[in-house]
Formats: sequence, C-alpha cells, structure tokens
Amino acid sequence: MRAVNLIPSEQRAGASVGAGRSEGVAYAVLALIAGFALLAFLYGSAHHQVASRRAQAASLSAQAQQAQSAAEQLAPYTSFIALREQRTQAVASLAESRFDWAHAFHEFGRVLPSGTTISALGGTIAGGAATSSLSLSQSSSAATAAATATGATPAGSIPTFTVSGCAKSQPTVALTLQRLRLIDGVKEVTLQSSASSGSGGVSTGPGCTGRDATFSATVVFDPLPASSAVAAVAKTVSDPDAGSASASSTSAPSTSAATTTSTGVAK
Amino acid sequence: MSRERTALIAVALVAILGAVWLLVVSPERKQANQLSAQVIAAKSQLASAESKEASARTAQSQYATAYAAVVSLGKAVPASDEVPALIDQLTQASNQKNVDFNSITSGGSGSSGTSASAAAASASSALPFTFAFEGSYFALEHLMRQLADFAKLTPKGTIRVSGRLLTIQSVKLAPSGSLTSPNKLTGTVTATAYTMPATASPTLTSPTGSSSPASSTTSAASSPTAPATVTVNP
Repeated sequence: MRAVNLIPSEQRAGASVGAGRSEGVAYAVLALIAGFALLAFLYGSAHHQVASRRAQAASLSAQAQQAQSAAEQLAPYTSFIALREQRTQAVASLAESRFDWAHAFHEFGRVLPSGTTISALGGTIAGGAATSSLSLSQSSSAATAAATATGATPAGSIPTFTVSGCAKSQPTVALTLQRLRLIDGVKEVTLQSSASSGSGGVSTGPGCTGRDATFSATVVFDPLPASSAVAAVAKTVSDPDAGSASASSTSAPSTSAATTTSTGVAK
Repeated sequence: MSRERTALIAVALVAILGAVWLLVVSPERKQANQLSAQVIAAKSQLASAESKEASARTAQSQYATAYAAVVSLGKAVPASDEVPALIDQLTQASNQKNVDFNSITSGGSGSSGTSASAAAASASSALPFTFAFEGSYFALEHLMRQLADFAKLTPKGTIRVSGRLLTIQSVKLAPSGSLTSPNKLTGTVTATAYTMPATASPTLTSPTGSSSPASSTTSAASSPTAPATVTVNP
C-alpha cells in the first residue's frame, strides 16, 4: 500500500511559515501599503508645513512692509529729531568753548591792590580768529548725522590780557603782579615795563599823578579746554522768553571786593 | 526558489518606497525647511521694521518739543544774519546794565552795519562784529555776562537761550575821555555771531498730509513764536 500524506503541502514541515498559498506576496502587498501610508503621512505633514509656513512668511512680509512704510512715512520726524540733536550739540559746543570774559574782568577787579590804577585793559584770544565755522549736515539717516561746530575761540586758544596802569610805588607794582597771579585761570603774568616819573624823565601815564609808577603787564590765561564732553550731554533747550517765567539771565559777581581808587578805570 | 522570490519582493518593495521618498516626500520636506528659514528671516525683518516704526513714532511724539528746541536754538544761531534782532538785543542788554551802546561794525574792516547782510548772503556761517560800549568798569563786566548768557550751557546740560550766541574774541577797555563822567570807559568788543547753514532744514510732511517747513530758524530771532512746550528752567 502506498502511504499518502494527508497534511496540506503548505503545512508540512520544512515549508515556509505563513507563506500561504500566495507564497508571501500578500505580506509584501501589506508592507507596501504600510510603507505608502507612512510616506503619505510624511508627505502630508510636509505639505501642510509648506503651506502654513508659506502663508506665515507672506503674512510676516506684509507686516514688515507695512511697518517699513509707516516708518518711511514718519522719516521726516526722525530726521527732524536728528537735526535737533545736531543743532543742540553744535550750539552747546560753541557756548561751552567760549572764554568767560565777565569772570576775568571780575577777577581783575577783585585782585588789584589799593594804590593801583588801571588806565587800559585789553584782552584777546590768540589763534582763534581764523577758524570759526559752524557746519551742520543733514542726512536721511539719523545714524549718519554729523554736526561740527568750531567757534571763533576753539579749544587751545590762549586768552591774553594787557594791563596798563599806575601804582603808587614800585613795590606796589610788584604787589600788583603777585595779585594778578591769583586770578582764576591765570597761567603767567609778565611785566612789560614799570617806570616812575622820577626815573629818567619818564612821563606819567594817563590818570597817574605825582611820582606814580606807570606799568604794563601781560596776563596769560590757561588755554581754552575742549568742550566735546560737555556738548555731548546737552539734550534740552530752554527759552526764558517762551515761557511766562522769565528767568534772570545773569547773576552778576560781587563787586564789593574792589577797593582800589581808580582814576583811569572806574571801580 | 521561494526564498529568492521573497528577497526579490523585498528589494522591489524597498526600491518602490525609496523612489517615492526621493521623488515626492523628500523634496516637500526640503521645501518646508527652506520656508522655515524664510519665516525666520521674515520675522527678523519684521522686528527691524517694527523697531524703526517705533523709533519714528517716538520721534513723532517728540516733534513738538523738538520744534520748540529748534526754534529756541534758531534764536541763538539763526538761519540768516538777523542783524536788526542782534542790535535790539544789544541795546536791551546795554540799557539793563546802564551801558551806552555806541556802535556796531560788521567784520574787522570798519565797514558799516549794512555789510553784515552781504556777509550773510555769501553763506558765511560766522559773522564777525565789533561793538563799542560806554560805561563803568563793572557795568561793562555785567554786560559781558549778559552777552555770554544770551546762549548759555547750564551745569545740568540744558542750553538756555535768550538771545544771539556770541563768541567774544577780544575786549579793550580804555578811558572814554568824558569830562562829565570821568569813570566811564569805552569798551571795544570784537565778537563773532553765527548763522545756521540753510541746507540743514528739512521739509516735514505730517501724517495728516499737511506740509510744514522746519526752517523755523529763519525768523526765529525776530519772531520767537515757540510752542508752549518749551522747557523753562527757573
């Protein structure tokens, strides 16, 4: 008798497990479908990102353009503020670079000893007359705005005074020279001449009497400082005339210190 | 045979899926990444534009104050020579300090005051003048203070403007020779006034459409019509 194997051929030992009648094709199809599903998901996700980001970029660009347009529309205001800054700095620089003449005259009146008379007093600032300029350049960009202001008395200029007068005696002239050195900001005091009427027939100067000694001296002040640091902090401008509260423009220095009886220069 | 077939199917499967990845999915993801970079750039651009706009809005809100400041500064450094206003200011200051204001000479050549206009017309930014005053020593000293205080920088950093900015270069005091007032001196002052270059004035166009020139300094010295927002320091 011939033996007959009743086990289905796909289930016999040695046959591939799960291959079934399609011999694995079904699994392949399933894997393919799963792979396609995964890829479809990834594609959809990426497509969604593309769409949303494209819309977001367009929206942001539109907003940026709108803001840019508004900024350009308001650009004159920005330029005007820059102009204000330039002018403020320029004026502050010019104002600060000046020599305080009133203070110098006050100091002369303060230090002169009794018995000394001034017949002429002149002051000048050397090296400043040729370089006065005020330049303001306006630019569309506030960052490139520049202001330069060089006054008629730029930094480094040296104020120099020439004093001529009379003194009761030569020691008084010496005392006068010592007192002149006490003036605020004085760097150097140089005697040009000092002669009494009895010495060699020298005539007395204007306002001098008797045997007074006429003298002439040069007073050199410290060079004017740079004012850039001060100008940089100047931000506000006040106008006493514009408001109702009119501020007094000056506080005159005290004149009580002057005790010299003067004929040429009144004190 | 069955194994070979399975391997073949697997390879075909991978090939198909790989092709789909390379041809369809990957480009889309790449595009998404590129757009992500574009979004970041657009955000940066927006931030910059918004910053500029905010700055401009701030400038707009400060316009009134800035205008008042420019008007005040125009009083110190006007756009034109403004010699009449300067004479008025000097006369007023002299009267306040009991000083006689005798003469004003434009430049150093001894020409009359009419040549000051010519100097300004030539776009000169510095106008030299020579003034002659007559008064007592301390009256002249106080006048010097007054002239300096026309435009003054306070210790707080505020510029206080009440007149023309003058830089005095030289002062000479000598007896006036007056028999009636022997104590009077003649003070000869060489000073420089300044004008603002006209090119520094932009034209403002307000958001409402009205156009207003900002060259207010042209007439600022003679017509100080500053808005009420001017800061006044006591």
